[in-house]
Amino acid sequence: MKVEYISPFVTAAIEVCQMMLGITPQRGQLNARKGIFTSQQCNIVLGVTGQLEGMIIYGMSIFTADKIASQMLGTTIRTFDELAASAIAELGNMISGNALTKLASTGYQCNLSPPSIIRGSSVRISTLEIPTLVIPLITELGELEINVGLQERTK
Amino acid sequence: MAKRILITDDALFMRVTLKNILTQNGFEVVGEASNGREAVELYEKLKPDVVFMDITMPEMDGLAALKAIRAKDPNAYVVMCTAMGQKQIVLEAIQHGAKDFIVKPFQPERIVEAVQKAA
Repeated sequence: MKVEYISPFVTAAIEVCQMMLGITPQRGQLNARKGIFTSQQCNIVLGVTGQLEGMIIYGMSIFTADKIASQMLGTTIRTFDELAASAIAELGNMISGNALTKLASTGYQCNLSPPSIIRGSSVRISTLEIPTLVIPLITELGELEINVGLQERTK
Repeated sequence: MAKRILITDDALFMRVTLKNILTQNGFEVVGEASNGREAVELYEKLKPDVVFMDITMPEMDGLAALKAIRAKDPNAYVVMCTAMGQKQIVLEAIQHGAKDFIVKPFQPERIVEAVQKAA
């Protein structure tokens, strides 16, 4: 897992958060993990195929998910319904799409799967033992953790 | 007469957002599709003036739906609206007849401008 794969995600996350949420996240300490694992309560999962393959997971607390969805919908949400879930999922889709656009300009052409939302903590996706880099983004709505598990396709 | 619009996006949030922008600006949203296959079916039934088309969707993606719609109606006015802004994807969409390409996230004015450009 190369560190160069992660910076497009950080840049894209900051740009999308500024535009969609009106906030500027601060970058926290980068961590490495042996596989894709999330201990967060609410996770947006997207698959990547193409010259890079793997998975991106955006993890956050239920509290942060509620805050982000409320901000995107322009109204305080009372229940985390389909509309709220799709707002969170779309945030992950926008960050990932913009990140893949940046990666394409450095020579990696990739495609994205539609996002899934997984709620519940300590989710390990055991079919994918891709080394993962984790970067926390600290925002006024709470912490948003980006897990990037990508590797070059074996030729 | 108000322009009749078909929205295609798998995310309910995006359909609601687009519909709000369009109706607030005096356009009529005649249909909403949540994947490419639905968009192709609704296009035939509704004959909208403009179609907004996401790309990353389950069942049938937006590029496949664009091709299917343009094959049936060479005058179809399809605007791609997606987070995927790679040059390769933009080129493929334009080559297959997409009239405009909007990268998410967007400003509401960009959506209004895309509809106004449609004759």
